[in-house]
Amino acid sequence: MIRRSLASTTTLAAMIAVLLIARAPAAGQAQSPATKAAPAKAAPAGGKSWTPPRTPDGKPDLQGVWTNNTVTPLERPKELAGKEFYTEAELQALAKQERERLAQVEKEGQPPANHSGVEGAPAEDVHYDFSQFGLDRGQAKLAWNRRTSIIVGPQGTVPPLTPDARKRLAEIRAKAKGHEFDGPENLSLGARCLARPNVGPPLLPAAYNSNLQIVQGAGYVAIETEMIHDVRIIPTDGRPHIPESLHQWYGDSVGHWEDNTLVIDTTNFTELSPFRGAQNLHVIERLTRADEDTILYQFTVEDPGMWTKPWSGELPITKIDGQLYEYACHEANYALANTLRGARVAEEQAAKKSAK
Amino acid sequence: MKTKLFVLIGLLLAAAPAFAHHGFAGEFDVTRPLKLKGTVVKWEATNPHSWIHMDVKGDDGKVVTWRIEGGSPNNLYRLGFTKDSLPPGSEIVVDGYQAKDLSAHAVGKSVTFSDGRKLFLGLQALKNDPETKK
Amino acid sequence: MIAGVAVLCVLSLAAPPSAAQAPAYRAPRTANGKPELSGIWQALNNADWDLEGQAAAAGPVPSLGAVFAKPRGLGVVEGDEIPYLPAMAAKKKENQANWVKLDPEVKCYLPGVPRATYLPYPFQIVQSQNTILISYEYAGAVRIINMGAPTKAPADSWMGWSNGHWEGETLVVDVTSQIEDTWFDRSGNFHSDALHVVERYTPRSADTLNYEATIEDPKIFSRPWKISMPLYRRVEKNARLLEYKCPEFAEELLYGPLRKKPSN
Repeated sequence: MIRRSLASTTTLAAMIAVLLIARAPAAGQAQSPATKAAPAKAAPAGGKSWTPPRTPDGKPDLQGVWTNNTVTPLERPKELAGKEFYTEAELQALAKQERERLAQVEKEGQPPANHSGVEGAPAEDVHYDFSQFGLDRGQAKLAWNRRTSIIVGPQGTVPPLTPDARKRLAEIRAKAKGHEFDGPENLSLGARCLARPNVGPPLLPAAYNSNLQIVQGAGYVAIETEMIHDVRIIPTDGRPHIPESLHQWYGDSVGHWEDNTLVIDTTNFTELSPFRGAQNLHVIERLTRADEDTILYQFTVEDPGMWTKPWSGELPITKIDGQLYEYACHEANYALANTLRGARVAEEQAAKKSAK
Repeated sequence: MKTKLFVLIGLLLAAAPAFAHHGFAGEFDVTRPLKLKGTVVKWEATNPHSWIHMDVKGDDGKVVTWRIEGGSPNNLYRLGFTKDSLPPGSEIVVDGYQAKDLSAHAVGKSVTFSDGRKLFLGLQALKNDPETKK
Repeated sequence: MIAGVAVLCVLSLAAPPSAAQAPAYRAPRTANGKPELSGIWQALNNADWDLEGQAAAAGPVPSLGAVFAKPRGLGVVEGDEIPYLPAMAAKKKENQANWVKLDPEVKCYLPGVPRATYLPYPFQIVQSQNTILISYEYAGAVRIINMGAPTKAPADSWMGWSNGHWEGETLVVDVTSQIEDTWFDRSGNFHSDALHVVERYTPRSADTLNYEATIEDPKIFSRPWKISMPLYRRVEKNARLLEYKCPEFAEELLYGPLRKKPSN
């Protein structure tokens, strides 16, 4: 069985950026003139009208502890092109196979994957078993939905890169080759505990601990993701973005309410996060409480210098019991030092060998 | 068509995003598999990875404390475990790979108690035993 | 009338207003009737240098001259001294002498409570009915304060486990389960895993809060002790927290020696 693994020191997002193709109609409307996408209203679950709960100051209540853990891949496999949704029967079959997969994993351990930190390297066993720590995605609550990919539309894949972006990414990859473990700055932002792709924006599922908490206060919505305890605080007072010259790992977010939907507009990213090589990234997110246990999460990503068209995705976020637990990362990041030290020892040994 | 779809579903499910956020095979050596038997000194329930410190008696009779890399404890907390769920003195067996820097540390591909029960979820059975419930 | 005013004056002088007594200021209310603490706040003192106050002195890096020297500072400890157990006072001195190597702030480690409050960076309170989130600009530190029925932590953490409730105008937060690796300041003041902190946030004017923290740790101190200070609202238009994910700036320190040497 082919196991496509999304490993390595390049961020998950960078892998996506490199691998992707066509696009789908944008699912959100930005205030900025840059996007001409039509708004998509989130339909209430079950087709009935449902009144979402409100905070004491009258805003739609998105609060609570949630997960976007899913089996749905970001991109639709080629074989399912044109098939945007599973039928109910197919979804049941999917759920059954997921249960069977988990049972097998719990018995036999996690299958090999590319754990090398080097793009395209072969699969191997060198990893702790996820399921022993309850970190297999099937061991946490899954946000089931009938989509065949997170990316919406007939093709369900990311649009082609622009020729410029293709060239830029090729140059970055060429420079990085053979230098994957030279120093901390050669490792991924996640390995350095600086930033993680699941925070985005857009918020995308992490392989485990894919949890978030939303707290709403006067004029602000705070979204904390469990990894790496990152908080995005979104002002809803109509203020402008921070100056163009300022760049942040998670960009700068401003939001506003459209009926029952929180619309978040984010700019001012760096060139490394969340998509390596993107120089003018603009992300629009829409969060709508669909029912008691569900938030419908929609997003549109655009960067005319990176992709030929904007691309959009949609996935449900489902309520979980309990709270977020602290994911202090940098404080006990022994692995980073160990990785560098291991690389130095390996180099020494290789040098001794060739000196013989 | 139906068979094809099921095969596809299988493919999708198998391609679980094992998000190696750093180069594990850069840190550990696939050509140095090992099997360690010893007793737990402590469980450092940290992120991004937890570490089991264990005393292993070598063939020369000397005791070396090994550090075994494992996973984030966060979902274990959700499943009802605590930082005390792996008591010092527990006898464990580790199947894994040694670090590339050749020091006394390894990644624990599979960790079990000496009776074969798996860490940590093997403890679940014990937790549900009415005898052990507080 | 004059006598009444005189009596009032005498009373005011005799009993200076403190957070424990009914304050003169009543904060605006949230939609569910609680004092509104939401906003961006910052301490403006030298507490992070030394809770007990300090003399001015040269900094640890001569080439930074006056940019990073130690400013003179008043302490924030009630009674001026932190009451170490005799056996622990020596450890504090050792910490202090080696603070550049040992202070977790140098490595951009999470600061714990109460240090997170008086680091020289702003923080933001996002106040909801059942939850109060405090996001700190430093290191992206964050805490969730549970305002419902108190819960217990399954594990220790850098930022601790916070349960809060209201006492009149004051938000009282009970913080337990902090790991022992944080310090209180850059002068080596430290604690054990038995640390128990009770914070009190009381609005004292439209743009200031009174902050108090009672610190208890029977393994380290001979009795509980208290710090207090005002917190100031960041009132500039569109004030916001910016990213200060400082682990990046500690990388050279932590990993520089492990870097690949350039080949000759």
